[in-house]
Amino acid sequence: MSHPLVNALLLLAAATYSAAAVAFLVHLTGRGQKRPYLRMGVWLLGAGAALHATQIVMSSLVLDLCPIKGIHFALSVVSVLACAAYVVMRRRYRIDAVGVIVAPLALTFLVGSAAAHADASAAGSLKSAVLPVHVLANLVGEALFVLAFAAAVGYLIADKQLKKKHVGGVVARLPPLDALDRAEHAFLLAGFPMLTVGIITGAFWAERVESGSAVDIARSLFGYATWALFAGVLLLRAGRGWRGKRAAYGTIAGFAFAVVVLVIYLVRSFGEPHA
Amino acid sequence: MIVVVGLSHRTAPVEVRERFAGEAGAPEVMLGKLRGRPELDEVMFLSTCNRVEVLARPKGNADADRARALKAVREVLAEHGSTSENDLKPVLYEKEGEEAVRHVYRVTSSLDSMVLGEPQILGQVKDAYDAAVAAGTLRSFLARCVHRAFSVAKRVRSETALGAGTVSISSVAVELSKRVFGDLNDGIVLLVGAGEMAEAAAKSLGKGAKEIRVCNRSFERAATLAQRFGGAAAPLTALEAELATADVVVTSTASPNFVVTRDLVKRVMKARRGRALLFVDIAVPRNVEPNVHGIDNVYVFDIDDLEQQVAVGLDARRAEATAAEKIVEQEVVQFLQWARGLDVQPAIVALRAKTRGILVAEAERSLQGRLKHLTEGDRAALMQMVDSATNKLLHAPTTRLRRAAGDGDGQTLAATLQELFELPTLHEVDEEPDEKTEKDEDDERAVQ
Repeated sequence: MSHPLVNALLLLAAATYSAAAVAFLVHLTGRGQKRPYLRMGVWLLGAGAALHATQIVMSSLVLDLCPIKGIHFALSVVSVLACAAYVVMRRRYRIDAVGVIVAPLALTFLVGSAAAHADASAAGSLKSAVLPVHVLANLVGEALFVLAFAAAVGYLIADKQLKKKHVGGVVARLPPLDALDRAEHAFLLAGFPMLTVGIITGAFWAERVESGSAVDIARSLFGYATWALFAGVLLLRAGRGWRGKRAAYGTIAGFAFAVVVLVIYLVRSFGEPHA
Repeated sequence: MIVVVGLSHRTAPVEVRERFAGEAGAPEVMLGKLRGRPELDEVMFLSTCNRVEVLARPKGNADADRARALKAVREVLAEHGSTSENDLKPVLYEKEGEEAVRHVYRVTSSLDSMVLGEPQILGQVKDAYDAAVAAGTLRSFLARCVHRAFSVAKRVRSETALGAGTVSISSVAVELSKRVFGDLNDGIVLLVGAGEMAEAAAKSLGKGAKEIRVCNRSFERAATLAQRFGGAAAPLTALEAELATADVVVTSTASPNFVVTRDLVKRVMKARRGRALLFVDIAVPRNVEPNVHGIDNVYVFDIDDLEQQVAVGLDARRAEATAAEKIVEQEVVQFLQWARGLDVQPAIVALRAKTRGILVAEAERSLQGRLKHLTEGDRAALMQMVDSATNKLLHAPTTRLRRAAGDGDGQTLAATLQELFELPTLHEVDEEPDEKTEKDEDDERAVQ
């Protein structure tokens, strides 16, 4: 991926994501009643996502690869989808300030995708209609889990501050606890069916293409564990009223497992030859 | 320049201030009286519960003009307060020029308010401004000063945290509910206890709530209070059921024992299926067992916590006041520079008139003589050239003169110009600003 325009777009997107993260951080720690840095952060995150999306399209054209194939693109697409979902949904759930978590995550995913090899070998051997469904469902689900994770982290920070009886400062600039809890649940609820589709199609696909190596087994196990954790969080919330802190910890654990799956893909890509 | 005469919580006790309330003090009435005074060129009347003051621009710039204007305002205020000028004088403050501009900016920015940083004062000054505009008592100078005051207040609000934080028990309770629930549009506020403190909290918290419910040992008192807020009442025996549906609970009973215990809340949280619950315990002794705060999704703030937040809010505002005062000082300097620029305006106008007059006269003489053959189009082009030459020729001196005026040397330079160019006596010209700057227009839009 040495095309200068693609590289320039990648750097620009990274810089914009970084600027968004800084703007959100300044908002959280800043003074004054108006919130110019929050708006700035939202705009920068949106702009970063647009640049990143353009970079993905350009990159896929240059490499002549479908952008849903391979971990290289997958991480990028998750990042863009998460940012886009944040920009669209932030007003509905009143979670603007969780951009402070979304922006660095988007940057991390972008850096991860840049580190991975642009390669479709993982899926190259399979010409199946199942593949796009599997990949897309996982990517959309992952993007929604990014937002659920961000809301969960925001919840835990706000909860900790309130339990310490700190009412001003950061907690005053984070969304209300209730809004964070609802947002986390909503994103989890929306992402879970996607993950389920991803798991089912993945199981079907694995039988045909996977080698049965330790890495493949670990990835599958972590995939199932992610699904089980999220299912548990949702079921316990519905059945036993597990909200707030417990649900937040469950969501964070589920997201951590999902990230492990991505990391396994990422590590595996390092061992594969360049396209 | 402007003068300010008035009284406030800093200079007059409430017995004096309350004499200025009522219909006789309505802005229209006061503006009518002030407009009738020949000593005043422009006036604005501001009346709040803690402040009554008149902003005015005297007719004329001499010291005697200012003294007459101050006396006129004092007389109107004394009449308004049904007292004599001498009796009123000890509680009045009088400010002139720079000090008056600073005062207007400080008042509008809430730096002179009883509760530092309170937001209402800006709206009250805007209302006073609108009333003065409607009564036709404002012209360019005072109007500009007040407009600048609005933008100063805006700067103070956005660049400092003077208005941030909470400075009363009720507002802390409201802030707490915002931290947990955002707004209470779908929320229920439960008052446990029906005393005065519960009523005060209900007034603040109840504004945005879906419903207010009152739970009290005496059902009659609960019903009376609930009726006042359009809510429902319940006896104290139904507390557990009430807690299961409430979102914010304000406790204020005189009970010597805990009314809300950890065991009770644990049972309630099961029934609530983990939904968050906020207790604002304003009772002494406390009504809510302190370890209830340790239960997941339950938050308890007692009177000490609330008072601590009030103290934090007040301290933070006092700390921010220094930064706000700096903004005020910067803006006062800018306004004074602009105002001093007006002193040299007559010299600029006279110089332009003379220069253009000479050039036009010479051009016309040529047009009647050697240039008689020129067409109408050529003549128009020639006159346009004259205007352009006037502008280019006078651009540098005009700019430098204004700059010098801002530095306080304007009068000297204006007198020199008058001497050098034999300009006519510099009568005061209408001090309309030449043109509104983009910043002014932005400020005006912002205060709409």
